Amino acid sequence: MKKILMALMAVLTAFSSALAQEKIHITFWHAMGGSRAAFIDRMVQDFNYTHPNIEVKAQYKGSYRDTLNSAILAYKQGNAPHIVQIFEVGSQLALDSGIFMPFQNLVKPGNYALLNDFIKPVANYYRIKGNFNSVPFNSSNPILYYNKSLFKKAGLDPENPPKTFDEIVDACVKLKKAGVRYCITWPLHSWFVEQWIAEQGALLANNENGRKARATNIYINSKPMYRIMKWWKDLYDKGYYAYSGKPEDWDGANNLFVSQQAAMLITSTSDVTILENAAYEHGFKLGTGFLPVPDGIKRNGVVVGGASLWVTKGHPKKELEAAKEFLLWFTNTENEVRWHKGTGYFPVRESAVKVLKFERWFDKHPAYRAAFDQLLQTIPNRATQGALIGNFPEIRTIIENAVQEILAGKPIKAVLKEADRKADQALKRYNMSVR
Amino acid sequence: MERHSLYKSKLTALMFILPTLVILIIFLYYPTFQTFKMSLYRVAFLGLSKQFVGLENYRYIFSSPEYRKIFLNTAIFVVLSVVISLVIGLFLAVLANQKIKGKTVFRLLLIWPYALPPAVAGVIFLFLFNEQSGMVNYILKHVANIALPWLSKSYLAMGVVITAFVWKMVGYNVVFYLAALQNIPKDIIEAAKVEGASIFQTFFKVTLPMLSPITLFLVVTNTIAAFFESFTFIDLITKGGPADSTTVIIYSIYRDGFEYFKTGLAAAESVILFICVVILTLIQLRVSRRMVHYEK
Repeated sequence: MKKILMALMAVLTAFSSALAQEKIHITFWHAMGGSRAAFIDRMVQDFNYTHPNIEVKAQYKGSYRDTLNSAILAYKQGNAPHIVQIFEVGSQLALDSGIFMPFQNLVKPGNYALLNDFIKPVANYYRIKGNFNSVPFNSSNPILYYNKSLFKKAGLDPENPPKTFDEIVDACVKLKKAGVRYCITWPLHSWFVEQWIAEQGALLANNENGRKARATNIYINSKPMYRIMKWWKDLYDKGYYAYSGKPEDWDGANNLFVSQQAAMLITSTSDVTILENAAYEHGFKLGTGFLPVPDGIKRNGVVVGGASLWVTKGHPKKELEAAKEFLLWFTNTENEVRWHKGTGYFPVRESAVKVLKFERWFDKHPAYRAAFDQLLQTIPNRATQGALIGNFPEIRTIIENAVQEILAGKPIKAVLKEADRKADQALKRYNMSVR
Repeated sequence: MERHSLYKSKLTALMFILPTLVILIIFLYYPTFQTFKMSLYRVAFLGLSKQFVGLENYRYIFSSPEYRKIFLNTAIFVVLSVVISLVIGLFLAVLANQKIKGKTVFRLLLIWPYALPPAVAGVIFLFLFNEQSGMVNYILKHVANIALPWLSKSYLAMGVVITAFVWKMVGYNVVFYLAALQNIPKDIIEAAKVEGASIFQTFFKVTLPMLSPITLFLVVTNTIAAFFESFTFIDLITKGGPADSTTVIIYSIYRDGFEYFKTGLAAAESVILFICVVILTLIQLRVSRRMVHYEK
């Protein structure tokens, strides 16, 4: 008996070592630094352990932009990574670069259930012309964070945060009276503008937000845009809104809120964990609510932010299969739950949300609830699908410059008109370069 | 005519400079050539696709009001920061050159900012000039009960980045001026004193002309630094804002090239910057022949 076992063991060892020699190597480039990188590494280790024939190597490549730049350069030199994490506004750019293949081409119909499990608004964003070009992974959207302790002090209902632009202003009057230095803050970032456009059911670009055909016209000089800017400017002039003075300064906004100089903060849901801890350390109670919207309009919902995972083309079939296997594993229900709990990013699967509800996760961490409900209540349409614009990073700077000019006192209408012209011209030049 | 050479043949000499030459070609001349070439193309995605457009990139840059503003910003930044950092550098060097107690300590402290990495210096200034929580506004609030929008007002933001750059550069200028001051023969100064020149007369008529070679050298190095090293400060402190009022050409090159994927335009901007630096250096060298007092 022992002998047979020994022989079996020997055969098995030989077999597994033969397999080991044929290990398929997959490279995965991502833009998640710090503790998130360590988290990804642990997940990848687990995959490699349970899939002895595949060896995935995850590498942190800096910011989203750096990661995309590196991937394009590596592709040019003929050693592209198999999987690349790309931020949502880089989707059209990634498509235009022509170095990626649609993920859906790899998936057999038998696995479609896995694709249909993605939360609607998320699927909506990443399904381009009916196909998943990439796998949704980390997603977030903006919510309102507020300081319950300061709300109480100002005589506001700490369980009922403001929901509209006017309600924010009303709350600000009371908060200021109660001695709060600034009422509200958020980073001066185009992302919030894009969200408020979507909330109003409006488009940011023609051809149905660039979803039906390539966008050729950016809508900056529009009524919905004016509404946002008018409110923003009023808040700023009255001393209700403050920002550090530097554009895209996420930390600056967080600091204003955490130091209790501002009673409200609008920022990404991916900061829930960070802000929960910070509020605890600074001795105040944290509340969260939906992103406030202009008065008198129907709340349409938010556009999904974050990033998805793309597969580069031109690899042998075996490697592509392995990459697919990894991606489906990496984004499965169990891992989504794990990723959410570890980082605060949203789980992008319906089944993962169900698991979290079953575990009563939201009772223990109520701050996450607004983030979830806001996304789940989003009405799927062209506005909330988000715009596909090739030169989105540049358009963002144009919008941010416009905001800074408006806050500095230039007339809103003239600024928007000029920004619209600049954006259209920039888009025209981009479109010419990819033709 | 027979030339005396250290080496037996030209080949030996060539062999000695070969390693340097290879490195220069690979890392300097070839990329420069590529930049010139790239500036004539409309490039997408770091060169994945490109089409020849001739001088179109240059035409666009020179006809667009946005780029004109960037050139103007660059000129303001470079002129102000070079002049201020040289004046302060000279002033501090003259002070540090006096026979005072603990002068080594003073000298060390003056030079110290230059040893700081630009990124660290940038972050320090970001903290200092933060509009709500910064040290500068905190002190202003307590002393004069005002708080200035340092980063959201265009001229203040420009002032902040210039201050940061000057602070960083002054140490470098102090080092060179100190060395130059110590090289001025004492008898000349004493002769001036004996002739009855006042301290100011001595300084402006004797010391300053004697410092002109080093001043010229510092103008060249400071100008080049202002063109290229301003990047870190602008990226960290203002990100080119508010509304592009602190966007200088080096920052614009970075943004166009690596954030907006407009490689062709970025290449054209680089060529323009390159030509600017070459012209400025030539002018400065020409001026030097006429104005600068070199000791034989």
